[in-house]
Amino acid sequence: MKKINITLNDIFLEDEMFRISYFLSLEKLIPSLKKVGLISPPLVTIRGKRFILVSGWKRVLACLKISLSPIPVFVIEKENNLNTFLMAFYENLASREFSLLEKAEILSKLKKFGEDEKKIVRHYMPLLDIPSTLSHFDSFAAFSQFEPEVKKVIHEKNMPFPSVKLLAGFTPRERKSLLPLLAPLGQNKGKEILKDLKEISKKNDVPPEKILSSKEILDILGAERTPPLQKADKIRFLLRKKRYPTLSAWNDSFDSLLRNLEWPKEIMIKPSQFFEGENFSITFSFKNQEELRASLLKLQELASREELSKIFK
Amino acid sequence: MSKSEYFPQKVYIERRSFDFPLTKRILKNISHIPAEIINNIQDFLEDIQTSRGVIKQGKKALLLTCQRGEFVKPCPCTPEYIGCNYYIINLDLNCPLDCTYCFLQHYLTNPLVTVNVNLEALWKQLDIFLNRNRERILRIGTGELGDSLALDHITENSISLISYFREKRNVLFEMKTKTVNIESILKIEPARNVVIAWSLNSIKIAQEEEKGAPPVAERIDAARKVSEKGFLVGFHFDPIIRYPGWEKGYGEVIKKLLKTVNPARIAWISLGSLRFPSFLKAVIEERFPRTKIIYDEFIKGKDGKLRYFKPLRLELYKKIIGFIKDCGGGQIPLYFCMESEEIWQKAMGWVPRGKEDLEAFLSSPLG
Repeated sequence: MKKINITLNDIFLEDEMFRISYFLSLEKLIPSLKKVGLISPPLVTIRGKRFILVSGWKRVLACLKISLSPIPVFVIEKENNLNTFLMAFYENLASREFSLLEKAEILSKLKKFGEDEKKIVRHYMPLLDIPSTLSHFDSFAAFSQFEPEVKKVIHEKNMPFPSVKLLAGFTPRERKSLLPLLAPLGQNKGKEILKDLKEISKKNDVPPEKILSSKEILDILGAERTPPLQKADKIRFLLRKKRYPTLSAWNDSFDSLLRNLEWPKEIMIKPSQFFEGENFSITFSFKNQEELRASLLKLQELASREELSKIFK
Repeated sequence: MSKSEYFPQKVYIERRSFDFPLTKRILKNISHIPAEIINNIQDFLEDIQTSRGVIKQGKKALLLTCQRGEFVKPCPCTPEYIGCNYYIINLDLNCPLDCTYCFLQHYLTNPLVTVNVNLEALWKQLDIFLNRNRERILRIGTGELGDSLALDHITENSISLISYFREKRNVLFEMKTKTVNIESILKIEPARNVVIAWSLNSIKIAQEEEKGAPPVAERIDAARKVSEKGFLVGFHFDPIIRYPGWEKGYGEVIKKLLKTVNPARIAWISLGSLRFPSFLKAVIEERFPRTKIIYDEFIKGKDGKLRYFKPLRLELYKKIIGFIKDCGGGQIPLYFCMESEEIWQKAMGWVPRGKEDLEAFLSSPLG
């Protein structure tokens, strides 16, 4: 590998055969380049008569942005695509963490460049902190095929593997129509929507697209004055009720019973998780004897009410 | 030969297991199947584990190896629910049947159908174990990590096991199966302390979710033959699965069962609704993409496993217990596998005071 200086125009950036990173933040790198220049040369190789960028996309794009040219590069010569890619892989492996989408690109490129599938699973996946199973390999390979706008949301929301795997179960069209629901929600709520939608669809043999285009959901989405977060939350609740009708009915009747009893908000009563156990718990806080006595009196009054017995049935 | 009898496509023999009598017997019974001796079992298994369709492929191969540790272990009953003090013998691991809900899909790291051939060590361990527990009646069974009879035409282990346990006074020994592989059992004298048990389900669930297992009617008929031979029989409605029409489906099977098999010869019937660890769900989704059974209203139970929301479980159990009683099975000991005190009380009308209490209740066939 030799080190030379080349101009940015010499690099054929349209060829992304070795690229694994697509969502690059250049803000911190640009002032650094302006101050000290490019210290760590990117890796390039030659295909035909062109220099192809192998590793260092962030550095090169930042240099391009501030017209820092020429730049030093290391040239990988006379290596096949797999070995060239492995140089970039190991260079990065030692210096940074890969995102989920970068891992997906790495695995799919290893396969594309002819690496043995078993070797990918047993050797490379542990290096990427991915369990060594073919199932995981298949999942990551599917992630690499996602549409760019879907990848963008995954990147921005820093979506974890289980959520991204759920996304892989939808068609490209369904994925796109899910983006407005996922964008405003946090990771857990986003995952809940994906899981419930998938499972309602599987259970009832109805395509997700049909569920998403039901009148109830279209009405929520069409409400002009409702902010995106509220819309997404309303749809999440709706899907949850469809997915768990009996449990939802129990939750509703528990809440309704508390309303009928005029249960005070400052005394929190909770059933066991999913009503699986028989016990209920009550929590309240107080700062003096008077407040304690008032809460206990209220509880005593509630405990004597006939309607309370319904809670234990 | 039953059409459901299993034969592997290849036999692998761990080198150190080659000289055992059971290995010789198995190789004689399947002499037409290619065999290969394996020197390093770890490398061999690691290679298989990274193959496509590993579970399906694993079922096509039979591995003869030795149990390194304890053969007899307490049944890994789930915490927080009532157990029954059952002990399991890990003789065969894995199963040629391919049930959608099978926990072995994620439980065993070795995907091959495996037979531990060092029976001599098993007898020694059992002698010590039974002697140590001579004051109580133990319930011991095979069939937890593999079907008790699915390989019996190859191993003939039923004869060895029943012959061993026949003489033991403080044991109820159970062999649990979904197969009709009863030829060896019908050849030998019955033993009063041996229960041959079948896992049953509704016809629809058996057809759709118990791939490779004989139809329910054949299982019930096999149970009739075994009970008429003089053995006690047992039944496990486990997992009970909800689907549109489940009441009718389970009602029909229970009616057929209690019409065909004399209830007086039934040692017990256990009930357990579908439950599974969440990580198994991913395996089921991948291996059985058409199944719907995992998309019902499952909640995370006290043990962390997914199980039907309590009112749904209760409805299942009450109906099925009602069917058993209505069909003349009122005297048959019934028990739940891994259920809460509340479910016991509401569905059975009583609660065992602990697993020892349940153990005593289920040992009643010994008198």
